[in-house]
Amino acid sequence: MKSEVLYPGAFPMVRVELAEGEHIKAESGAMVACSPTIDIESKMEGGFLGALSRKFLTGEKFFFQTLRASRGAGEVLLAPTVPGEIVVLELDGVNEYMVQKDGFLAGADGVTINSQMQSMSRGLLGGEGFFILKMSGKGMLLLNSFGAVHKIELKPGQEYIVDNSHLVAWSTTTTYNIEKATSGWVASFTSGEGFVCRFRGPGLVFIQSRNPGGFGAWVRQFIPVAE
Amino acid sequence: MTSPPNALCFGDEFPANGAPCLVHVEAHGLTMIVLSDQDAGERRSESVPFSELTVSAGGLDHDQLVATWKGATGERTLYLKNPHVIRAFRQAAPDHLTISLERAAEQVRQVRQRHRIVWSIVGGMLLIVVLGLWFGSDLLVELAVDRIPIEWEQKLGESAYHDFLARQEIMNEGLAVAAVKEMTHRLTAAIPENPYTFEITVVKSDVVNAFALPGGYIVVFTGLMKKAESPEEVSGVLAHELNHVLQRHGLERIVKQLGFTAVVSIVLGNQQGLGGVMKQLGVELMTLKFGRAQETEADLTGLQLLYRAKINPNGMITFFQRLAKKDEGRVEWLSTHPMSSSRADRLEAEIAGMPKQPPEPFTFDWTKVRASLGAHSGGSP
Ligand SMILES: [Zn+2]
Repeated sequence: MKSEVLYPGAFPMVRVELAEGEHIKAESGAMVACSPTIDIESKMEGGFLGALSRKFLTGEKFFFQTLRASRGAGEVLLAPTVPGEIVVLELDGVNEYMVQKDGFLAGADGVTINSQMQSMSRGLLGGEGFFILKMSGKGMLLLNSFGAVHKIELKPGQEYIVDNSHLVAWSTTTTYNIEKATSGWVASFTSGEGFVCRFRGPGLVFIQSRNPGGFGAWVRQFIPVAE
Repeated sequence: MTSPPNALCFGDEFPANGAPCLVHVEAHGLTMIVLSDQDAGERRSESVPFSELTVSAGGLDHDQLVATWKGATGERTLYLKNPHVIRAFRQAAPDHLTISLERAAEQVRQVRQRHRIVWSIVGGMLLIVVLGLWFGSDLLVELAVDRIPIEWEQKLGESAYHDFLARQEIMNEGLAVAAVKEMTHRLTAAIPENPYTFEITVVKSDVVNAFALPGGYIVVFTGLMKKAESPEEVSGVLAHELNHVLQRHGLERIVKQLGFTAVVSIVLGNQQGLGGVMKQLGVELMTLKFGRAQETEADLTGLQLLYRAKINPNGMITFFQRLAKKDEGRVEWLSTHPMSSSRADRLEAEIAGMPKQPPEPFTFDWTKVRASLGAHSGGSP
């Protein structure tokens, strides 16, 4: 399986070359175009209940698409819904990542996707809900962001503070605590922002240069409110 | 030697996400082979005796075994997750490590147990809240409202207040504004332990209305002042509206109306859901109708407030009885506050039970105030 990010920048697309028999799991709706040798299946990852809980608890799409090169080698073009960068990670069996619900674009067949429950405070204050996706296994993992992706490298014990709405993915070797960014709980709860994650290395933290919630609020002010 | 990696090694010369490596537990310590990305023969191998290791629990869920030591080329941190390796490590480790190992294991157990406890408490609480809201328990609503800080309430009311005023013609000065300010001041000065700073605005409009938003934002329409024959009548309405704020009736309605969805979206940490709820609140605040029990409470506490402020409380009754009789103009306040005979009876009984006291007059001349608003004074009986 080979991949190439086309048109890097705000509106990228990724080309994945599949050998005969290979398949890739993608966020449903991510497929833009593909060779005629590719079959598209909608599959409920983790069974019906798994899919259901993912749908309700992470807001993740009910289905993943499986794109399978069942009738010979071919290529698939994938793109995310929002403008922003695509990141290609290669999982080696020991590196694992937690991915925020909108951050997943596609994964090779060797990549295992699990919805994982977060601790109470992280779920309540982190803004990603109680469930996030845990990526493990081996193979290519494609993440997408809103805006550009910035990689933060943390040495053992090194700390870094990230606004939670800018999180995309982070290594499971990191730990983090949710903290209040400003003084006063009122601001934090009413704006839905104001929480930050204090990460502690070792590991990688991928952040996005734009905040989808903030952008949504900005757009909303131009939409006339129907009475 | 094509065994898959079973650990991650961190150190200055390794990538930030760790170098995949293969760890063997041996009798004397650990042997680590770094599997570099280039599958060239250049494979680094390091052996460390147990005596040089310190161990702890680490990683996102504290479920990884972290071993650190000072290598020949600097600090090394090894993250082990593979249960087989961890078991082998625990069996082979000498006594001085066993203590830290047990502590690490204990830490993992504690974290897991704490998660379980917190989750079951939350589950239970959620169930209680949901059941309570389902059966419309007022007690629960009050309990919930008690937990909401005043500043939050103010923020809520403030946005609705400014949204509303942006579409209105506001009176900033003049006899009417001064009169309303004096009345409000007399009333608020009589509130014991008042946590609110009330803000009051007079809106130029013939609509006969006045309302209070959560957090202490009061709007009085000039139409209402024109219809009032005495400042005591206006004070009656103000005392009633002030008590909707003081008794936090608006919040009670909101919690009751939005209860289930709000609780769920807050608990699930869904930002958009929460934002939506807050946006929706702004709209709902303007169309908020209070329940009958709340109206009665505002009436009775309003009367007490008038009494404490030494304002004749009869104005409250006479005004609305008169307005109800003469069905002229748009009397919006009446549509939300119908003057039923039982309501009047209740108010009269309450006033009869109060000890008599001489009312203190206001400093302004009400006839002039009304005249400044263009009310034709001859029209009233
Ligand atoms: Zn009322």
